[in-house]
Amino acid sequence: MFGKKRVAIVGAGLTLFRRNLKETGKELAYEAAKMALDASGLELRDIQTVVMGTAPDAFDGVHMKGEYLADGAGARGKPYVRVFVGGGTGVFTPLAGWWHVASGQFDTCLVVCEEKMSSCFPHPAYAFTTIFDNILARPLGTTLIWIFALEMHRYMHKHNLKKEQIARVAVKNKKNALDHPCAQLGANITVEDVLNSEVLCWPVQRLDISPTSDGAAALVLASEDVAKKITDNPVWIDGVGWCIDSTLWTNRDLYYPDYVEYAARMAYRMAGIKNPPKEIDLAEPYDPFDYKELHHMEGLLLCRKGEAPKLTEEGVTQRDGDLPICPSGGLLGVGNPIAAAGLMKVCEVFWQLRGEAGKRQVPGDPRTGLAQAWGDLMQYGSVIILRR
Amino acid sequence: MSLEKITDPRNMKHWLGHMETDYRYTLGIAGERFLNEIKENARIMGSKCKKCGVIYVPPRMYCEECFEKLEEWVDLGINGEVYTYTVAYLDREGKRLAEPVIYALITFGDAFGGLVHKLGEVKPEEVWIGMPVEAVFKPPYERKGSITDIKYFKPIQ
Ligand SMILES: [Zn+2]
Repeated sequence: MFGKKRVAIVGAGLTLFRRNLKETGKELAYEAAKMALDASGLELRDIQTVVMGTAPDAFDGVHMKGEYLADGAGARGKPYVRVFVGGGTGVFTPLAGWWHVASGQFDTCLVVCEEKMSSCFPHPAYAFTTIFDNILARPLGTTLIWIFALEMHRYMHKHNLKKEQIARVAVKNKKNALDHPCAQLGANITVEDVLNSEVLCWPVQRLDISPTSDGAAALVLASEDVAKKITDNPVWIDGVGWCIDSTLWTNRDLYYPDYVEYAARMAYRMAGIKNPPKEIDLAEPYDPFDYKELHHMEGLLLCRKGEAPKLTEEGVTQRDGDLPICPSGGLLGVGNPIAAAGLMKVCEVFWQLRGEAGKRQVPGDPRTGLAQAWGDLMQYGSVIILRR
Repeated sequence: MSLEKITDPRNMKHWLGHMETDYRYTLGIAGERFLNEIKENARIMGSKCKKCGVIYVPPRMYCEECFEKLEEWVDLGINGEVYTYTVAYLDREGKRLAEPVIYALITFGDAFGGLVHKLGEVKPEEVWIGMPVEAVFKPPYERKGSITDIKYFKPIQ
């Protein structure tokens, strides 16, 4: 029904995520791409097209960053495009890769996401100051953290939540990340540690937030014919969805991300999923802040509105719970090189469904998983559903 | 509390560069009228879609639902309410502010949307979601046709 060809993921690669890496952006892209190719058993000459995802040019400080990264991503002399939807890029990029193959135009596609946030100093947050409305927001000194603080506060107010309930997400994800070999911020912390950490913009505190990072991730996609020839355990892209709201985030409820729900519904429809909490075995919702994991579980219809904190408290979202959420350790634990962080989540679902997640493996032989990213100006949702 | 090991990028071989460029942003058709009303008349206006009945604040030139061009303007008064707020302790470069600043999203009755602005004449612990507030304008001779012509919003006594 959707697309001419079914599309599989046949290999994944991921670099270390760190605050500062010595490698250039091109070198990071190369490391991840090479790892994904090796895992798939294909070589660069077998790849027909490359899709690159990377967030604002201002991080790396290279205008036309997509073009700059092309050779590192293995794209020289090939059909190539860079896609960009802010924080949503990491999950949107494999969606763009999917349509390259599903259309029947290509049999193999290399998907690469890269971010090198350390180039920008004193802090990459400053690169975000120009994303806000020039006329109405920038004159007030807008920062990224305080618009998220406004959203978080509204979410807490609407559902009458305490910070303790939200802090549990940070505790869980940093703990999960202890088992991830690429993780930047794996740690055993307590709810009290989160509540006692530095207040940045109330209610956002230091340990509610993911770090800034350098890193890259990659996937190899193949058409059904090619996938069946090169692997016994392909993982299929069975659902894709994406949706945007306007940059006027002042015109939204804030406590609930409708645009994520619309993207999720599109993906569920395509995958034939009618009851997401029952049919999704594990999920990697986007968690740059602890409250966002909860926000997104609700937007993804994995639970009712306002119910995610309760599920977290009851342990349902732990790796060994009924609905494991962010078994990788998420952005809070593994790190947040924007586009690469979103693709890291897709890599995690791929490894989990293949039973290759090592110490992070969720029990119960999972068959269906979901990854989601979120971004631009609190306005974008991208969703992918994988099955084996 | 900090958890991660941080390497110092200054210790890696590097070259320093910057990509600074300057820009001149026009206020636009709706924006110019909106800010001019604040400057000349100290009032907050919205624009109304005749087809959908939606009143947009900040006002827009077009309706995002039906794509009508919006020509009807509505005076929203200067009173609104706090929809959500945050207390910022850091500036745009991540440095600690000497005094925290309260930022709020302020809504105006049934109008769709709202304005982001500072709150003044109130302590962080006295603010609540749903609190009625009013705009405090700079004196006319200081107003330049900018959103900062509103100094802040303060609680209505
Ligand atoms: Zn209309």
